[in-house]
Amino acid sequence: MIYNLQIFGAYFAQFLKTRMSYRTDFFVSLVANILVGATGLLFVVFLMDGKNITELNGWSRAEVLFIYGYAMISMAIFSSVAINLYGFGNRYIIQGQFDRVLLRPLNSLAQVLFESFNLDSIGSLLVGLATMLYAARILGISIGMLDVGWLFVSSISGAVILISVFVVLSSVSFHFEDRIGIAPPFYNLISFGRYPITIFNRVIQFILSWVIPFAFVAFYPATHFFNRTGFELLCYLTPLVALVSVVVAWVFWQFGVSKYESTGN
Amino acid sequence: MALVEVQNLRKSFRTFKRSEGILGSFKDLFSRQYSTLNAVDGISFKVEEGELLGYLGPNGAGKSTSIKMLTGILKPTDGEITVMGYHPFRDRRAYTAHIGVVFGQRTQLWWDIAVLESLKLLAKIYRVSDSEFKSRLELLTETLGLKDLLHTPVRKLSLGQRIRCDLAGSLIYGPKILFLDEPTIGLDAVGKDAVRAFLRKINRDLKATIIMTTHDLKEIEELCQRILIIDKGRIIYDGSLERVRTLPGLKRRIYLDFAGSAPESKLNEIFGTRVAFERESERRLAGSYDPRELSTPELVKEVFANFDVADFTVSEPELEEVIMKIYREGAGAL
Ligand SMILES: Nc1ncnc2c1ncn2[C@@H]1O[C@H](COP(=O)(O)OP(=O)(O)OP(=O)(O)O)[C@@H](O)[C@H]1O
Ligand SMILES: [Mg+2]
Repeated sequence: MIYNLQIFGAYFAQFLKTRMSYRTDFFVSLVANILVGATGLLFVVFLMDGKNITELNGWSRAEVLFIYGYAMISMAIFSSVAINLYGFGNRYIIQGQFDRVLLRPLNSLAQVLFESFNLDSIGSLLVGLATMLYAARILGISIGMLDVGWLFVSSISGAVILISVFVVLSSVSFHFEDRIGIAPPFYNLISFGRYPITIFNRVIQFILSWVIPFAFVAFYPATHFFNRTGFELLCYLTPLVALVSVVVAWVFWQFGVSKYESTGN
Repeated sequence: MALVEVQNLRKSFRTFKRSEGILGSFKDLFSRQYSTLNAVDGISFKVEEGELLGYLGPNGAGKSTSIKMLTGILKPTDGEITVMGYHPFRDRRAYTAHIGVVFGQRTQLWWDIAVLESLKLLAKIYRVSDSEFKSRLELLTETLGLKDLLHTPVRKLSLGQRIRCDLAGSLIYGPKILFLDEPTIGLDAVGKDAVRAFLRKINRDLKATIIMTTHDLKEIEELCQRILIIDKGRIIYDGSLERVRTLPGLKRRIYLDFAGSAPESKLNEIFGTRVAFERESERRLAGSYDPRELSTPELVKEVFANFDVADFTVSEPELEEVIMKIYREGAGAL
């Protein structure tokens, strides 16, 4: 474990070094990030001031915002490593770069995830956190040490769930030779995880809870902070769901690797 | 037990015919005609510790596919591989810690990272101690001529430079066994010579076992005692480099130097179709013959009995000629 942390820490250090070496690129994207973050914030403020939405199917505007911010945090953690899953089929499978991954005595999935990082997500992480705290103030939620702990555990769990789902989708690339993969359409589905699940119909609720468990990314764990009943069990199930997701993802991944064909040259 | 044991190893790829044009591609979305290609079709062999084995075969014979199975990249469709007691695919993580692999075609190093940084990262992954790293790096830098390359990112290296760095990368952690797939592709004469000398050195001094594919026969001649020839996924020759030269049907050459003008027509009269003579110069003739039809002593005796010969040499067929014949005729040549 410590060995793995050291190795992937070294991967991260190398990544940072390379990013710095493309200096202009680094600064341009830093500025871009700040702009994107600011736009996000403006959007949030606009939503708060809007007189047209006051309530969403029994959820107050502040609650909706709280969940929205919560989701942004998990998604930011997710997208900091998942950038490699995007285009996995093309880069690793069709171009055969996965050979290189398999030749190292390290976990193949961890290598793919930690070979490069998306630093841009720091921006959305901060915006998400700010949104959440802002909504918490309106809702009069006081946040203690235990709550911070839960926020930490559950947002990591949320990120793990998202990563697992996309690992499953990416491992389809091992079986079918296609450049885009089936993952991209699902990136849009993530947005379902940003809203109170009860606003959707029953079938979608079921799917979001037990098939593609995006409801555990933000909605269920966020209910920990609300004065509501009915979600306690599901809320604290979040880490377990994350664990199961990882196991499922790993099985899919391993099966995919066994079908890997490399390239002809 | 041998270091490497391969038994009835098979790998088949499912391929489909692509139809032509946009309409065809669209049709392919719904129905594809699959066929199975046996890239490696039931091969068995053993390699002992310390051997330097040349793995030969024409394009598309299945060499790279075999190497990929031996290194744990591909899961065999069928058959068994054990290397140092490991099953390469099943025990991939434990196994790859002990092997060095170079694919001349594609780099194993990190694209954007300077060579030295890459090597350091590898040292970390393979838990190489600092002192070991230092001494190996010194050796590799010197023998592979890396001095000026160490601080360049891999993507900026030329092909030959990159391959030398790849070789260094595969050796920095001191693997016991090396798998090299066309390791000298794209190297210039000096680079090839350096790599060759280097491989010989680590094979001899460090007792490293090496399995390598190459299309450079000179390399094979200089390095390998034993070769394996694969064709259409099957092994058609497994034995010493010497024995392959004595294949039936291979012509030997005799060079005859005469005191005076070479008596070409007279010789033709005596030997007929058994020896094909060519004039090399005024006094020198070259004749090629099949040693099964006419033994060398018999030929020499008859020539000496009839002519005044100043000198003669007999040469075995060139390796290139041998290999070309085998590639052309497949298993039938053997
Ligand atoms: N990933 C793959 N998918 C489909 N077919 C493949 C794949 N890899 C190899 N093949 C096929 O398997 C056969 C053997 O290929 P391989 O690369 O092992 O040949 P090789 O002996 O290394 O040839 P070369 O000397 O040209 O490198 C070829 O017919 C090739 O088209
Ligand atoms: Mg090849």
